[in-house]
Amino acid sequence: MSETIGRDAGIFLAAGLCGIASGLFGIGGGVLLVPLLGLLFSFSQHRAQGTSLVALIPPTGALALVAYARSGFVSWRTGLLLIPGVFLGGIVGGKLAEKLEPRRMRQVFAGILFALGAWQAFSAWWR
Amino acid sequence: MTFIILLLGLAVGVLVGLLGVGGGVVLVPAMVYLLGMDQHLSQGTSLFILLPPIGLGALGEYWRQGQVDLRAGILCAFGMLFGAYGGSLVALPIPSRHLQGLFGCFLVLSAILLLRKAELDERPTVARKKSADE
Repeated sequence: MSETIGRDAGIFLAAGLCGIASGLFGIGGGVLLVPLLGLLFSFSQHRAQGTSLVALIPPTGALALVAYARSGFVSWRTGLLLIPGVFLGGIVGGKLAEKLEPRRMRQVFAGILFALGAWQAFSAWWR
Repeated sequence: MTFIILLLGLAVGVLVGLLGVGGGVVLVPAMVYLLGMDQHLSQGTSLFILLPPIGLGALGEYWRQGQVDLRAGILCAFGMLFGAYGGSLVALPIPSRHLQGLFGCFLVLSAILLLRKAELDERPTVARKKSADE
């Protein structure tokens, strides 16, 4: 029993960390949550991804959004245009995930993230 | 421009379903570079997109395959709700240029974590566990 509570507390804390990243960088936090669930709590990859999607169902970024909106940092029109595509694409991606080899897929994604991140840091500080 | 934004949403959505992430991690740089938006504006807009349950369609697919830990997911949602507010309070006073640089560092770190996870999956114990899950 206490083991379950310890695990629950650990998951809650890890998610809190993902939340800080979420508010800080305006992201969902899944990109950090998926590897953390796998590395710290030995979730299988598919299970970590499915569980991360549950965490993204309630508007976890709502409080952070209010803070950004107050400072005028929200483009409502762009956001509205993006939402339908992201929803429909999500269904396609969920079906694809069944068929693809997850390890290769993740390596490609990690490569893209690494390149994007290095580019962002470089263009911010050294250009 | 409207067409580009619609297409961008679709492309990001496929990633959401494939990887179980919110999509913001790709959307923010895409808005900065493709749409020429400011870093803070991109981040705020990304949080707006995450407001409706855009991952619901993808979640349905995972649910049918029994790949969801509901209890852990709910715990994570609460942790992220409060964490996200704290994070936004830190981000807002930071100048856009530095925020963009920090975002880049975060992406690199996430990429390393993902790769590390990919390596662990090659171990036979994890492979066994996976087949037991199925």
